[in-house]
Amino acid sequence: MSEPAFNGGVVLDCTEGIAGPYCTKLLADSGASVIKIEKPGDGDITRKMGPFLNDKPDIEKSGTFFYLNTNKRSITLNLESESGKSIFIKLLHNTNIIIENFTPGKMAAIGLSYETLTKIRPQIILTSISGFGQTGPYRDYQTSSLVTFGLSGAMFTSRPATDTSTRPVVEGGRQAEYITGLLSFIAIAAAMINTKDTGKGTWIDMSALECVASALGANIDEYSYLGLSRKTNPFAIHGYPIGYSVPCKDGWISLTPGLGGAPNIPLLIEKPELLDDPLFTKPAQRMADPKKFDDTLAPWLREHDKWEITRLAQELKMAFTPVLTPGELLDDEQLKAREFFVEAQHPVMGSVTYPGAPFKMSATPPRIGKAPLLGEDNESIYGGLGMSQKELVALKKQGII
Amino acid sequence: MAYELLKGTRVLDLTMVFAGPVSSRILASLGAEVIKIESAIRPDVFTRGNVYPENDPGTEPWNRGSYFHALNAGKKGITLNLGHEKGRDIFKRLVKISDVVMENYSPRVMENWGLGYDELKKIKPDIIMASMSGLGHVGPLRNYYMYVPGMEGMSGLTHMTGYPGEPPMLSGFSYGDWMLGATSSAAILIALYHKKNTGQGQFIDAAGREAMISNIGEIIMDFTLNHREQNRMGNDQPYAAPHGCYRCNGDDNWLNIAVENQEQWIGFCRVIGEPEWCKREEFINSSSRWQHRSELDTLVEDWTTKHDKFEVTEALQKAHVPAGAVLSMKEVNLNSHLIERGFFDVIDHGLGIGKRPIPCQIPAKFSNMDSFIPERAPSFGQDNNNIFGELLGISKEELIALENEQVIGGAPSFPPGRPTRLNLIQQQNAGELDADYINQLKEKYKTDIGINQNKEK
Repeated sequence: MSEPAFNGGVVLDCTEGIAGPYCTKLLADSGASVIKIEKPGDGDITRKMGPFLNDKPDIEKSGTFFYLNTNKRSITLNLESESGKSIFIKLLHNTNIIIENFTPGKMAAIGLSYETLTKIRPQIILTSISGFGQTGPYRDYQTSSLVTFGLSGAMFTSRPATDTSTRPVVEGGRQAEYITGLLSFIAIAAAMINTKDTGKGTWIDMSALECVASALGANIDEYSYLGLSRKTNPFAIHGYPIGYSVPCKDGWISLTPGLGGAPNIPLLIEKPELLDDPLFTKPAQRMADPKKFDDTLAPWLREHDKWEITRLAQELKMAFTPVLTPGELLDDEQLKAREFFVEAQHPVMGSVTYPGAPFKMSATPPRIGKAPLLGEDNESIYGGLGMSQKELVALKKQGII
Repeated sequence: MAYELLKGTRVLDLTMVFAGPVSSRILASLGAEVIKIESAIRPDVFTRGNVYPENDPGTEPWNRGSYFHALNAGKKGITLNLGHEKGRDIFKRLVKISDVVMENYSPRVMENWGLGYDELKKIKPDIIMASMSGLGHVGPLRNYYMYVPGMEGMSGLTHMTGYPGEPPMLSGFSYGDWMLGATSSAAILIALYHKKNTGQGQFIDAAGREAMISNIGEIIMDFTLNHREQNRMGNDQPYAAPHGCYRCNGDDNWLNIAVENQEQWIGFCRVIGEPEWCKREEFINSSSRWQHRSELDTLVEDWTTKHDKFEVTEALQKAHVPAGAVLSMKEVNLNSHLIERGFFDVIDHGLGIGKRPIPCQIPAKFSNMDSFIPERAPSFGQDNNNIFGELLGISKEELIALENEQVIGGAPSFPPGRPTRLNLIQQQNAGELDADYINQLKEKYKTDIGINQNKEK
């Protein structure tokens, strides 16, 4: 039988939005006991963010909140009140990890600095996630997914290769937040391993800007080696086109013959008479006349649908792939075979299908589970601290829980 | 900056190009001992080539590629031919004393060599093996030929990127590869923790496409809950306006503004000197601004076009309005905030390359932990003597014999006369060159950068 990897770890999650909750979702799915601390009344901001089940705004029906908070428990607590803080400190006695995404300096301002926390729990791993980090000239800057993307350098190159004078465009969805959540998780997991080995805790400072800049991988170095600032992903490597989207009968397809694959294109488009055409045999020719290359392929592509093209091209060892819509993923045979999408029961939303873990693990498969209702676990968690029903009612009246 | 959090963990890294090396670089930065395995027949050609310092491939181009240096700093490097039976035997001896094996060959390669997880488990029962691929190690499409466009395009992200009515767009920075790498590191760390607790190893099957889908969860949820297919929106965000990328003064200068609430809107109007806009009926609240956003965008851009992107960033941020310049690679390399926080490690690469700033791949700062600057990426076969001789105890004579049999050592097969990345980019007019980059870097990093021209051999 398999057991979740992080069984026994207790996490106090003071984050909201996307980056922090995605990080703690990965912890919770891996078996950690994550206690999500939400604002009394409204809870996490994503509870008010769509998509809502049947488009009915309801803090218990947000798909965004559901996806980002699977397998967590929820309590409500006002950390800015004195009694809220003292309850937080009680919770701390059993906690290994705290994660927060307040503006830098706020934890210290409400009397919960790392130093204070270590006096109660010397081995605590405190993780602070912010837009720009706990230090530096941008520390107090306001952040958003778009702004982070632009400042990281990741947006400048996001333009069509055919026209680098166009307006840069941000990656779809909320990539800056997800990248930050994933890297924060990696940092915490490494710190947990270290605590196991050495008994030492730590304070981890994560900056969303740096997380996104990391995702540029090696691209940043083109400047320090060459003085180059790229304006796009170049559309050709070694003279073959890479991955720009071209229209086909039912949508779009990525043209990526891969190294050495282009000579097979005439077979794909049923024009064997072009097999010796320098357009397909000589990279330089293709580079010199990209429009002619595209025009030769376009009519055939328009008559065929994306999976048909993909299957034929793959048989010819070319890495053509379909551009899929999010909805098409639900019917995808590979994802089905891999049981990528999973289903959990939710008391208000019913049966909910959501994307499963981003990796498959043979011994510790990530858990499948629902997101909590707002304050769902107040009674059990506060009860566990020895607080009476009467106390809880009083705290509720004061707006503390 | 690197840390010693994973001290004592040994990783055998068979991966090439971007995704795998990103993953093992993250592990190396966290303190794991990563041994990168290449061979004369299978060198990491793509990253070892392409981008050379000052566009000069030199006599050993394979030791000069910038991608290679950025993605492999802090690792050890050996050459070992797994196509040879003796090579596989030596590999198995290494597995016996390692914690993790990572590979990104197409799914059948390791099994054909007799080095699949079931085989490795027999040699080292608690081994963690991570297989990285585009669509996954199992499943009917597992043998598909895949690069970044497949990982991104088949995830739904490409469909969601770009302007409405225009073609879906690939990322500008090999995002799919990087995400597969980072995701694999996350899984490997979970597995390492579990191994420490229970002594149990495991097999990790990481698919780049699935790593990408996980990052558009909220978009997928609209389909699973409401059967709604979302579409790309450019830089829009529902009910936020002005929200987008605006042209600024100068050539190819841009600024992002993300006004998400009424307070920020009022601050915005004040900063740009148009307090009257706040009173206009069509801009009175977020839903009316959203409705009239194209009119608003035109007005905003009329103003930004006359101003400097850095000055506007500062002024708007002072008024607590989220805004920021769109930085080029040059501007990222010279950014004071990133430099001050130590985002770049200035590593001396020797080899006629000198010191260059290298971006980190896991930008976490850990308080009260020992940190260090990682060693430069290994030159080809650099650690053969160390690993084969000292670690495995293979004698000098044996090593020479192995070299003669082409099991270890040798020069990489490296196609001569390949166009450099710079040539390609210039041909396609896809970038801008700054001739003064070495001086610019010297001034910002306050240290020598590159090679001293006078001392060059």
